[in-house]
Amino acid sequence: MAGEQKWDKVVRTTVWSAGAGCHGGCGAKLFVKDGKVMKVEGDEDHPWNQGRSCPRLLSLTQYMYHPDRVTYPLKRAGERGEGKWVRISWEEAFDTIVQRLTEIGDKYGRESVLFCQGTGRDIGGPISLLAYSYGSPNWVQFGLSGQSCYTPRLVAMFATMGDYAVADASQFLEKRYNDPQWTPPRCIIVWGQNPPPTCPDAFFGHWIVDCMKRGSQLIVVDPRVTWLASRGKYHLQIRPGTDGALALGMMNVIINEGLYDKDFVDKWTYGFDQLKERVQEYTPDNVAEITWIPKEDFIAAARFYATSKPAAIHWGMPIDMNPQATVVAQAISHLWCITGNVDIPGGNVIARPSHGVTAYPYSTAELERLYGQEFIKNILSRKIGASRYPMVRDFRHWAQPDLAVDQVLSGDPYPIKAAWIQTTNILGGQAADTRKHYEALKQLEFIVVVDLFHNPTSMAVADIFLPAATFAEKNSLRSWWTPLSALVKAVQVGECKSDWEINLELARRFNPKGVPWKDVKELFDSRLEVSGLTFDQLAEKGSWEMAREGHPSKPYRRYEKGLLRPDGKPGFSTSTGKLELWSKCYEGWGLDPLPYFEEPPESPVRTPELWEEYPLILVSGARSSVFFHSEHRMIPWLRELDPHPVVEINPQTARELNIEDGEWVYIESKRGQVKRKAKVTPIVPPWLVMAPHGWWLPETQGTEPYLFGIWDYNINQLIPTGCQSQSGYGGGAYKTMLCRITKIKEGRE
Amino acid sequence: MVKKYGMIVDITRCNGCYNCFLACRDEFCGNDYPGYSVAQPFSGQFWVKVIEKERGQYPKVKVAYTVIPCMQCEKPSCVDVSSNKAVYQRLDGIVIIDPEKAKGQKQIVNACPYRVIYWNEEKNIPQKCTFCAHLLDQGWKEPRCVESCPTKALVFGDLNDPDSEISRIIATAKGKLEVLHPEYGLMPKVQYIGIPKRFVAGEVVFRDKKDECAAGVKVTLSSKGNADKVTKTDNYGDFEFEGLDADKDYTVSIEHSGYSAKKVKVKTNIDTYLGEILLGKIAVKNK
Repeated sequence: MAGEQKWDKVVRTTVWSAGAGCHGGCGAKLFVKDGKVMKVEGDEDHPWNQGRSCPRLLSLTQYMYHPDRVTYPLKRAGERGEGKWVRISWEEAFDTIVQRLTEIGDKYGRESVLFCQGTGRDIGGPISLLAYSYGSPNWVQFGLSGQSCYTPRLVAMFATMGDYAVADASQFLEKRYNDPQWTPPRCIIVWGQNPPPTCPDAFFGHWIVDCMKRGSQLIVVDPRVTWLASRGKYHLQIRPGTDGALALGMMNVIINEGLYDKDFVDKWTYGFDQLKERVQEYTPDNVAEITWIPKEDFIAAARFYATSKPAAIHWGMPIDMNPQATVVAQAISHLWCITGNVDIPGGNVIARPSHGVTAYPYSTAELERLYGQEFIKNILSRKIGASRYPMVRDFRHWAQPDLAVDQVLSGDPYPIKAAWIQTTNILGGQAADTRKHYEALKQLEFIVVVDLFHNPTSMAVADIFLPAATFAEKNSLRSWWTPLSALVKAVQVGECKSDWEINLELARRFNPKGVPWKDVKELFDSRLEVSGLTFDQLAEKGSWEMAREGHPSKPYRRYEKGLLRPDGKPGFSTSTGKLELWSKCYEGWGLDPLPYFEEPPESPVRTPELWEEYPLILVSGARSSVFFHSEHRMIPWLRELDPHPVVEINPQTARELNIEDGEWVYIESKRGQVKRKAKVTPIVPPWLVMAPHGWWLPETQGTEPYLFGIWDYNINQLIPTGCQSQSGYGGGAYKTMLCRITKIKEGRE
Repeated sequence: MVKKYGMIVDITRCNGCYNCFLACRDEFCGNDYPGYSVAQPFSGQFWVKVIEKERGQYPKVKVAYTVIPCMQCEKPSCVDVSSNKAVYQRLDGIVIIDPEKAKGQKQIVNACPYRVIYWNEEKNIPQKCTFCAHLLDQGWKEPRCVESCPTKALVFGDLNDPDSEISRIIATAKGKLEVLHPEYGLMPKVQYIGIPKRFVAGEVVFRDKKDECAAGVKVTLSSKGNADKVTKTDNYGDFEFEGLDADKDYTVSIEHSGYSAKKVKVKTNIDTYLGEILLGKIAVKNK
């Protein structure tokens, strides 16, 4: 059909947020006929994905035009959970929301409203705009214990380097692998991530494969034998939650054997001697005992990493789900610092929002630029978690999620009365202790859910439901590292509006003075000013542009060129101008300035009695190629490929438990039980089971008490809240709880 | 020269992203291509399917994905069983099922030992992959599945053109290329690199030096008394024999000077990790 059919237009745009659902970045071509997207292809001229796409993108039309999609605003007609809704106009929806939130704000204070988001998609910009225009400091990844997704890694890099860094797969260069400046990493450590499915953290998974084709050899740190792990030079099959010990053990080898980059360390780092002293506690023998990795394996891997320059580390969310995650991430970032793999081709390059454009505020500094210092200072002290955690107060303006849910339930130190829940399915997705979050949300007086489909959260608690657009139906902006990208609206579906459109309209109503832009395009143009482009110009360029050579957002070796510091001097954007291995930031936040290891809250070592009763480590959250978190379960072609909520069990373990492949079983912990279909597979070790997260069954009953099956299948019910790190960030125990597997006896189902 | 289309599936490169399957569904579901195919139903048929294969035992495990479209056989058994010339082979080698003529001919489904022909209950016809012949005839260079492959695990082209990529791969990958089930004798034009076979692996440990890795130990794999393969343990004392035939009886012999030799019998009905094999020191008697 591609050849003969006449399209009305082909729109070249950027993939980010609902639709494919992922952290985005790909260029896509949308083939439009009669106002409908008929077909989607990867854009071969886009340097990010070079024409490639994924199952979720290829099934976009099934998502956009799904019969269950909500395409106009709704208000609840019956009781919460009855599933009775009536259609309303946008005008009525906006009026109701403004009236109710104003009443609640006047009565209890504006901080009594939570603004809840999910993962890092096209949402941070619009939701912070709305929260601050309304006047609430409580913008939060509600449910995500310890904010354990990228934030711990970001803060660790920020504290150590004054910047963020990513593995260099040439993504900052227009010519990519053919650019003569670039050289492939000789070694890539893929640490706690399976990048090809769903491409997390603004990193296209196939880049790893592209590098492998160009000679990169892998060290894979993962308890599971992923496709990448089975092709790695070294596979370090780690006990979950012990990544910090592994990083410290690898540094022990690298430092004590003199394999670090001495010149670089002398010239560009601060606190090396203290770090050297600290790593002495982590001898290979100790680390082997902690991590369950044979010591010769990680010794060899450490040597290989340190002696293969350039070498890069690509890491994932399990790092953030370690106990004391902010120091675990710090320790791993030290590996690229002491080996001099910083901002060099094929190393870990400093990543800044492209062109200096801020479409998504990563840090306080950026928030202040966006919303003004005075305003941010004003709301700072009232934010949930700010008084307890200096890091949470200072680094990033999210409220602390574990404390937020507790405060909803306790009303202490001030009451929480309403929630704005935007494109996040809290109860079907990220919330640890699902029941606790359910109880908490049920108590609130007024809840708005903005989403594309009904889900367990909207069914259980929404009073107003606003229909959001997919990426194909909206204009938006992305500068998440590179390139500077535009999302270009191709079509309209029903009455759906983009998160930006919805929030800009409401923000204007709450704070007319603070919202001078007449529409979202004007807002984007103002954000884009520093790039010298307008939104339309960026869109016309095919939806992307790379930063020019010499710009602070363009590699390489910017620390030598004086491109990183505000004063224009060589060095890094830290107080010492160096990479701070002994962290002055951490010290200032009242934390240990050096990394260390701590056992997970439940583990064979810390809670041996519990381990007797529950002798398996429960890991949740491995990614599927066809789903993104709790999305896409209703998309027929995707669901057909991954139809059941499974639990991966090693054949030996299954045999001991007399469990057959395909049999329904219970995963039991001291917090309850969840039903899963056994997938007996050698890719997990005998002492671990893996249960994918985000499972609810859209084809089943959505009303109370069923809520699309979350009480049967949602694995996060077994994850507690309150395990956050001492810093407030990280530590969500999504990968380290203990469990057992039992057969479902007849009559019990 | 007449074109002759073929495909190579490099299993070592496929990371199981399912793009080929989705692109195929996108092309054929709800779309009739008169003269080539009628619409694929929205579920149930897998014109290009991806089989996940995980083999071995902890801690020695391998993961691979095998992509299976219609094999476009040179000697297609589906052609032979069809009546009324409902299934035919084009000059370019593509095997097409004529949806009109094939009505009611369920035997066509059962004729294919690769099980890549599907029965459409509603329309009463057999259906399968066409190599996107309707696109090739419009000038496309490759079918949708190949176009959507992000790792270049799928390569498509003209086998008669010595300059085509597929011909170049065939010229350089000699010995590595195989077909699925050559015993069927149907001469598929879909060829494979890296079809998962059986492996036997293990780790040698010296009983007297358990902390040291037993590197450089000679390991021999033999069947029916003949030494098939010889290897040495690596720096960790690990050894592996890959690419073995299935369901064969082998003996693994481990020899090292100063140690008693050891023999382990293995049947390759599954991939086998033998775990730690302990070698004891030969006792030296005092004279």
